Amino acid sequence: MSTAEETPKATESAAAGDDLAALLGRVAARDAAAFASLYRATHAILYGVAARILTRGDASGEALQEAYVRIWEKAGEFDPAKGSPLAWMATIARNRALDEVRRVRPASLEEMPEGFEPAAEAVDPLASRARSERLVALLACLGNLDADKREAVLLAYYRGFSRDALAKRFGAPTATIKTWLRRSLMQLRECLES
Amino acid sequence: MTLSPDDDFAAAEFALGTLDPGERATLSARRLREPELDAAIRAWEARLSPLAEATPPIAPPADLLPAIEARIRAATAASASDGVATLQKRLSRWRAAAIGATGIAAALAIGFVAREATRTSAPNEFVAILQKNPDSPAFVASINLTKGELSVRPLAAPPQAGKSYELWIIEPKLGAPRSLGVIDAAAVTRGAQLASFDRSVVEDATYAVTVEPEGGSPDGKPSGPPVFVGKLVPVEP
Repeated sequence: MSTAEETPKATESAAAGDDLAALLGRVAARDAAAFASLYRATHAILYGVAARILTRGDASGEALQEAYVRIWEKAGEFDPAKGSPLAWMATIARNRALDEVRRVRPASLEEMPEGFEPAAEAVDPLASRARSERLVALLACLGNLDADKREAVLLAYYRGFSRDALAKRFGAPTATIKTWLRRSLMQLRECLES
Repeated sequence: MTLSPDDDFAAAEFALGTLDPGERATLSARRLREPELDAAIRAWEARLSPLAEATPPIAPPADLLPAIEARIRAATAASASDGVATLQKRLSRWRAAAIGATGIAAALAIGFVAREATRTSAPNEFVAILQKNPDSPAFVASINLTKGELSVRPLAAPPQAGKSYELWIIEPKLGAPRSLGVIDAAAVTRGAQLASFDRSVVEDATYAVTVEPEGGSPDGKPSGPPVFVGKLVPVEP
């Protein structure tokens, strides 16, 4: 993909982010109509985040509801200096899903959520249309990791794979996976901060 | 004070989502009173969050907006009728009442035992948060049933000068509470004292901590009411 193609997309994404930030500001002021618009603009992404981790429709729906109640509750705490509005909201949904999946059991390799193709097991963030500057930087740093280690990080992030699930997947001891994750995360931070 | 490398890695794994349930519960509890740890978790979440934003959308099976709005209205109405409680408190209390997963500590506190219908083998790893209430967990007990091993990690147990904390297992089949020994308020206590109990007893029991004279109860019975209690929740291998 050429740089010339990426630039307009990054701009588009920034403009969408501005709209969401404005909506979040109104939600913080308890504007119910703004909340409904925010929900409509973002719920499929947030559901996508939760459903890939929880793999059960009822649990994903519950996580989505909890996430939006929390977004209503915390809208005033959104800080644009720390990331985009969508990244902030998606992280809230992801945390609700992780709390649930880690409370009950690790992600099941067998069950798939409705509307989710097993073939698309690891999300490919490279295919994302809206590539924010932060995403471009993170992808560049992920690109520096060995392929297996990058896949492990992405499976953990997108599918909620536990260390044990990753161990099974890569045929490596759990302790090795822990070492991989530690090195990968520290390497990512170093790269992002350089 | 800076965060230790191990805590920093734990914060990173919290954000990545790879901590096991016991570790996640422990960190969720610790971040409530350790601002540096909380800040580290937030920083790691922010570093990784562009990935979340790039997630391909999936349409939910139903329009959940009305249900979400109803939850918010219920919370707001409750808040309006009570000038003292903040919206946030009402929300979290209400959600806890509605079986919402208001965080793992709260879920464990009400003794939520997740026994999945799809489970194929009985779990062997359990954790229990021992606490007065969900906002003040004092100890986390981890149990390995295969080995009968118990380890108790202090989270925020106030030290008791000249006294000791003692852990008890309480289950009708046992009759009186049975001591599992003195537990340290500052370091992890490990032992294999559960090996002599039946599996069903260990799984169903309530675990309670009392304050005893230094060195533990002199007569093998609790000297006073429990200060912290908890039930087990399974951790899938």
